[in-house]
Amino acid sequence: MTAQLAEPAPSVRDLVRAADGAVGILDEGAKREIRRAILAAVCVPGYQVPFGSREMPVARGWGSGGLQVTLGVIGPADVLKIIDQGDDGGVNATNLRRIVSGVVGCETATDTRQATVIQTRHRIPEEDLGQQHVLVFQVPVAEPLRGVQKSVAECVRMHAEADYSAIWVSLYEDIVRNGFITTSTGYPVLVGGRYVMATSPVPRWDVPRLDQAAHLNLYGAGRERRIYAIPPHTTVEPLTFDDVPFEVEHVPGARCDYCGSDDSFLVDAPGGRYVCSDSDWCSRSVAGQVDAQAHRERAPLAWLPDPAKRATADGYTTAPATDATAGLTAATGVAVTAGVSETDGAGAAISAGVTAPAAATAVAAGAVGAAGAAARGPVSPEGWLLKVDRLGKVFGEGGAAAIAGTGPEHGTAVSPSTGAIVAAWDVSLDVAPGEALGLIGESGSGKSTVLNCLIGDERATAGSVRLAAIDGGETDLLALTSQQRRKLRIDTMSIVYQDPAAGLDMRVSAGGNIAERLTAAGWRSYHAIRRRAAELLDRVEVPLSRMDDPVATFSGGMRQRVQIAKALATGAPLLLLDEPTTGLDASVAAGVLDLLRGLLRERNVAAVVVSHDFAVIEALTDRSAVMQLGRVVESGLTDQLFHDPHHPYTQRLVAAARR
Amino acid sequence: MTPVLTVRNLRKTFTLHTIDGRTVVSLDGVNLDVAAGEHVAIAGPNGAGKSSMLRCIHRTYLPDSGSIVLHRADGPVELTELPDRAMAGLRGRDICYVSQFLEAPPRAGALEVVAEAARRRGLAADVAREAAAASLRRLGLEEALWDVDCGVLSGGERQRINLAAGTVRPPRLLLLDEPVSALDPENRERALNLVQSLTTEGVAVLAVFHDLEAIRRLATRVLRLDGGQITAEGTADEVLGASPEGGSPEAASLEGASFEAVGVTS
Repeated sequence: MTAQLAEPAPSVRDLVRAADGAVGILDEGAKREIRRAILAAVCVPGYQVPFGSREMPVARGWGSGGLQVTLGVIGPADVLKIIDQGDDGGVNATNLRRIVSGVVGCETATDTRQATVIQTRHRIPEEDLGQQHVLVFQVPVAEPLRGVQKSVAECVRMHAEADYSAIWVSLYEDIVRNGFITTSTGYPVLVGGRYVMATSPVPRWDVPRLDQAAHLNLYGAGRERRIYAIPPHTTVEPLTFDDVPFEVEHVPGARCDYCGSDDSFLVDAPGGRYVCSDSDWCSRSVAGQVDAQAHRERAPLAWLPDPAKRATADGYTTAPATDATAGLTAATGVAVTAGVSETDGAGAAISAGVTAPAAATAVAAGAVGAAGAAARGPVSPEGWLLKVDRLGKVFGEGGAAAIAGTGPEHGTAVSPSTGAIVAAWDVSLDVAPGEALGLIGESGSGKSTVLNCLIGDERATAGSVRLAAIDGGETDLLALTSQQRRKLRIDTMSIVYQDPAAGLDMRVSAGGNIAERLTAAGWRSYHAIRRRAAELLDRVEVPLSRMDDPVATFSGGMRQRVQIAKALATGAPLLLLDEPTTGLDASVAAGVLDLLRGLLRERNVAAVVVSHDFAVIEALTDRSAVMQLGRVVESGLTDQLFHDPHHPYTQRLVAAARR
Repeated sequence: MTPVLTVRNLRKTFTLHTIDGRTVVSLDGVNLDVAAGEHVAIAGPNGAGKSSMLRCIHRTYLPDSGSIVLHRADGPVELTELPDRAMAGLRGRDICYVSQFLEAPPRAGALEVVAEAARRRGLAADVAREAAAASLRRLGLEEALWDVDCGVLSGGERQRINLAAGTVRPPRLLLLDEPVSALDPENRERALNLVQSLTTEGVAVLAVFHDLEAIRRLATRVLRLDGGQITAEGTADEVLGASPEGGSPEAASLEGASFEAVGVTS
């Protein structure tokens, strides 16, 4: 005790050395795991590789991820530079530098030219970086989709499927609200044409430096336990609409108060001054030790804000029903004409359908109606677009073995042998372009289950579903993966749910909800998306003055109209309607019903309409099937079913519908 | 004469499951033919099966058995074996059915209803509207009513809209079920003239009129239907008796009750 008391109090540095100096902060096994993650990250640029993030002698959020990556790659022969906000002298940078150099025994430098490993937060050094450099980023938020999707599992799925429409919608909404994209740090980029990545957290100013860079970029997120990378000479594109250019931060006329630079990244200083964020660059610049000409060529001056190139005000929200709308109505009329004159040649023309961005461009150039009506959906030789054979869905045990003892003749949908619910069984139907088929029955008869199996919300137990638009109807959709099924929902099959919240993002504007479907289909022109959204909203009679309001602020009827507009956005040849008017009060329901009737008439879509209401089925469909306890008990022309129902259940249903 | 419709042995019964499964026979082995340019009128008392027959041909009712052949330019089509989708395709194109009561979509206006019928015939939207306007004008429906919800119009107005929709373009086969029952004399005259001119143009018409004067004026042949069976066939005079102008005053006075004399089987 007394001997220890006699010694001077140890410094933090002494403690760090005493505790970790001999063996390092990470043991060799930990470093190997980190290197393996880094190798995987380099092999799949932009992909976030999970790793077993360790506790570090710094708090999470203070560079623990960057520190692990640095410790994983650095050796005694390296020269280390650590910056915080571009500054070598920050407290955090200084301490991290001491820890690493103390542990590894490597040299440190502030001069970027001498460094080989540079750990950074917020900046890419102004100096030219080459193949000798490894740039390690401390990452606070690794997930670029975090802002639009809270579920980690869903983010993983979106990356896996390159399903990035949600982030495009966030960019769209940003432009709508602010006239340009305001995201500053962590701007989303597409790496190697595949993964969307957060450039966490460099300013937009530095983003162009990442494209085809000669150096290796490694990103470590300690809290989120992710490592990702941009290897040298990789394409890095900031996400931007084709017609709204990417911009970097810029204050016109601003210069560094020390070195006078107007082409390095400047930050605010007291007294309304600006100074270089990169302290190494600035001090060497003052000393005349920089190649200013080469730096100017590296600087992102091509991306300075240009108000002339920004999204133009389209006036949808300020002046509803002006010239734009008038022109639109006329265009729709023309398109309808074209569509109808074609309807007689049943099955003659088999067009390519609306699938790719190429088609989207064509649609963007044309009118609303043209997309739906003129694009004649593909049909099978027998004339159907959708064919469902012996579809079945059993909730619970037993599958096909649970069927015995269920159905209308047994008066129950509950399997006596297994207790499973036979929600639908042996349901066969087909629908042609320009035709609407009704599914009617009381609650629990299985009609919505059939629709859910068609769209892919449920996995069917038995049967097959074919679309003439897919492989000419050869492929059973039920055999496709969930990912393939989801892709079909972009522009091949659309559904309108009873509850608008199921088909819309309530926080996003009406236009943004439509933009979601369009960007998923490959639309990249902001103005074309605006135009298309306005056309669709106008068609469904949502005032254009509401186009940029969150759907959550809409009435039930208006929400349902927005959902319908979204379902029509990409001209999908198959439209599924699940109780589209049921949740609405009578007069609003009537308006939506009239709208749907008009839309089905003017477009050449094949539709399946599910309703328990004979009035809805009568108004919308030509043919219908009646379901009871999971089975189709009767089918025929809709007016025949109503006037001459054969099955006892249908007769009761019709009698009940008479008021 | 070019045959348009051939019906053989048509039988239709209704099984009323909601009323202890009772069976009602509506048509019991009906045969009939209609040729292009022919106007065949079906006469008979209430409940004789007149409307049922039209509806079976249109598949608003599903017949139990028998044959219904529609002769099209590309050959005969057995309607009882035609899939629903194909039947839906013939409706409003080859076969137009004008029911006694207008069955229009809710809240639709007259012009919309008739234009939609014209579009089903393959007319472009603007041409369809013109055709619809001409058709409504011909039947004397005031232009001010063209965009009014059909549901609020009078029976006579609705009946004319229905007739306009069925005849906006001449079909191959026109099925008429009491199309003038609610019309005033002036409008009735317009409607009957229209039907007559369609027959002259070569449309095959199968019609049910309670109005014997209309039958005498329009029908080229008359069938008497009774208890679901054809009990008489011939000219109007042969089936209905001589017309009041040409025949005895007794015939005229008996006309309203003439079917009672034949007897209703129940």
